[in-house]
Amino acid sequence: MTENLAKALEALKTYDWGTDPNLLMPIDDAIVATHTDAAARKELESGLIAVLKTEVPQAAKDAVCRALRTIGTAAAVPALAPLLADEKLSHMARYALERIPGPEAGQALRDALPKVPAKLKIGMISSLGVRGEAAALAALTPLLADSDPGVAAAAAHAVGDIASQDAAKALLMAKPAAGTMAAIADASLNCAEHLLAAGNKNAAKITYEKVLASTPSKVVKDAATRGLQACTK
Amino acid sequence: MSQTKQNQHTRRDFLKATGLTTVALGFPTIIPSSALGNDEKPAPSNRIVMGGIGLGNMGSGDMSNFLNNPLVQYVGVCEVRGNVRNERKNQVDGKYGNKDCKAYVDFREMLAREDIDAVHIATPDHWHGIQIIEACRAGKDVFCQKPETRTLREGQLVVEAARRYGRVVSGGSQRVLEDYRKIVNPCWSGELGPIKAINVEMGTISKACNLPAENCPADMDWEMWLGPAPWAPYNHSRCDGNFSCEGGSWRSYSDYSGGNMTDWGAHHIGGATFAVDVRELQPTEVILTVEGDKRWLAFKYPNGVELTLNKPGKSQHQVDGTPGEKREPKKIPEYAAKGGIGADFLECIKTRAKPFRDIELAVNTVTVCHLGIIAYTLGRSLKWDAAKQQFIGDDEANRFIDRARREPWQL
Repeated sequence: MTENLAKALEALKTYDWGTDPNLLMPIDDAIVATHTDAAARKELESGLIAVLKTEVPQAAKDAVCRALRTIGTAAAVPALAPLLADEKLSHMARYALERIPGPEAGQALRDALPKVPAKLKIGMISSLGVRGEAAALAALTPLLADSDPGVAAAAAHAVGDIASQDAAKALLMAKPAAGTMAAIADASLNCAEHLLAAGNKNAAKITYEKVLASTPSKVVKDAATRGLQACTK
Repeated sequence: MSQTKQNQHTRRDFLKATGLTTVALGFPTIIPSSALGNDEKPAPSNRIVMGGIGLGNMGSGDMSNFLNNPLVQYVGVCEVRGNVRNERKNQVDGKYGNKDCKAYVDFREMLAREDIDAVHIATPDHWHGIQIIEACRAGKDVFCQKPETRTLREGQLVVEAARRYGRVVSGGSQRVLEDYRKIVNPCWSGELGPIKAINVEMGTISKACNLPAENCPADMDWEMWLGPAPWAPYNHSRCDGNFSCEGGSWRSYSDYSGGNMTDWGAHHIGGATFAVDVRELQPTEVILTVEGDKRWLAFKYPNGVELTLNKPGKSQHQVDGTPGEKREPKKIPEYAAKGGIGADFLECIKTRAKPFRDIELAVNTVTVCHLGIIAYTLGRSLKWDAAKQQFIGDDEANRFIDRARREPWQL
C-alpha cells in the first residue's frame, strides 16, 4: 500500500461534511492503478472494508461505499449488509451492493427485505429489480399487493425489470390496489417487451391482452394495443 | 448481474423492429384535446396545456418561451424553492390576468393532472431520467433540457418509455441545429467529401462534493432537491444553478451532473455528431490517450468516423474530410416549425412526428459524454456494445452504467 493511500484511509477516520475531498483522491487513484493488480486491489478493498467496520462519520462511510461500488467483491458484502437497515446509510450500502456482481450481494438485499421499514424496503426492491434478481421473485410477488402503495409500486417495477415469464405471470395474477394499477400496467408492458424480444409472442400477447382489459388509462390502452400489433408481426 | 440484464439488447432491437421506435406508431394522428393545427391564436380551451418542472435559470427561460407561445396554455409550475415557485406562478398569472396557475413542490402531483398535455423539465440533471419516464407514464409529451440523463441506463429507459407510451419527447439543446451551421453545411453538402473525423474541445468532468452543512432556507424542500441523489447536507453552492462547472454549482458535482462533459457536451458533441451525420449511432469504442499531463479521447463509430475530444493540435469542430472525393449531398434536417426548438416540440405534439432533437438522438449524444466520463474515471480505453448497452470485457466499467437511487426513487 502506498503512503498516500494509507494516509487517505487514515483520513477517513475523521472525514466529515466539509472535509476537503481531495484528501481521498489517493483512493480514486488506487482504484485506477490496481485494475490489473489483484493483490493490491484486494489490499485496497480490505482497507476500505475495515473502515466500514469502525465508528467513522457518515460522510466517510459514504465515501467508502462509493469506492466499493467500483471495486467491491463478495468480500465486501458482509460489511455492507448491516448498513442496509440503517436509515442514514442504507442507500449508500445499496449504492455499492447494487453494482457488485455475484449472488452474495443479491442475497444480502433479499435478506434485508423483510427486516427494514417501508421506505428502505422500496430501496431494496428497486435494487433487486435493477440487478434482475430472478431469485427475488418469490419475495417480491406478495409485495405487489402490499398495503403501502410505494412498496407495491416498487415491487411492480422490480418484477417488470426481472422480466422473465414467471415475472409476467406474477404480474398477471396480481390483485393490486387502485393506487398500484398504473405501476402494474407499466411493469407488465415492460415484461411483455422482454418476452416479445425473446421470441415468446404468446406470453407477450397474453400480457398485453390483460393490460388492455384491466386498465382504465387511454395512454396505457394505446401502449398495449401497439404491443398487440407488434405480436402479429 | 443476472442473465436477464444480459438480454436487454434484444429489447432494444425489438423496439426498432416492431415500430415502437416511431412516434406515430401506426395509429391515427393523436391530437391532444387542446391542440389546433392553424396559425391563428387558438382559444384557451384549444391550446396545448403545459406545466414546467424545475424553473430556475434554464427552466425560467423555457417557461417564458412556452408561456409566450400562442399555442400554449400554461397552467402549472413545479419548483422546490418557494421564492422561485411563487415568482413563476405570479409570472404566469400576470400573463393571463388571473390566479389560475397551480404551484407544486412535487412533480408527481402535476403529472397526475389529466388536463396537462405536455411538460418541460429543467431540473438538475440527476432528476431528468426519473421525471422523463414518469411524465411518459402519465401520458405527457416532454421537452427536457440537456443533458437528458445522468447515467447510461437512464438513456435506454427514457427512450423505451417514450416509445412505449407513444410520447413526443424532445431533448433540449437548441445549439445543435442553430450554432454549428458553419460546419454542418459543408459536411452535409458534400463539400468536405467523406468525413473521417471531427474534434471537439471540452472542459472538465464533474468531481466529488463534500461541502459543509449550512442552514437550509425555510422555503426550500431540500429532500426534493436531492431526490434520487445520495443524501448530503444543504449548502448553497451544492445546489446553485449557475452555469459554472468548476465549483459553486450543482453542475460541478458528480452526484448531480457530469460537469462540462455533459453540460457543454450535449451542445458541442451533439453538434459534432450532427455535422458528421453519426447522431443516430453510438460509438463502439472510446480510446484514452495519455501524453504527459494531457489526456484525450477518441470515439470510434461503427461507420469508421472518429470523434476526438481535446485531441492535441486540433481545434473546436475541426473536421477531417476528404475534399475532392465524392460525397452525395444530403438535405439538412430542420425544425418542424419556425420559432426554435420549443416551437419544433409544439408542432410535433400536434403532428406526432419526431422532433428535431428526438430523445433517442439526444440520448446518443449524452451517451458519448457518459462513455467519456467513465473512460476518464477509470483511466483506460473501453469497448461499448451499443445494442446490448454494455461494455465489452470490462465488468468494472459495467458498474458505471447506472447508480442506485436514494429511496423512494426508482426508474
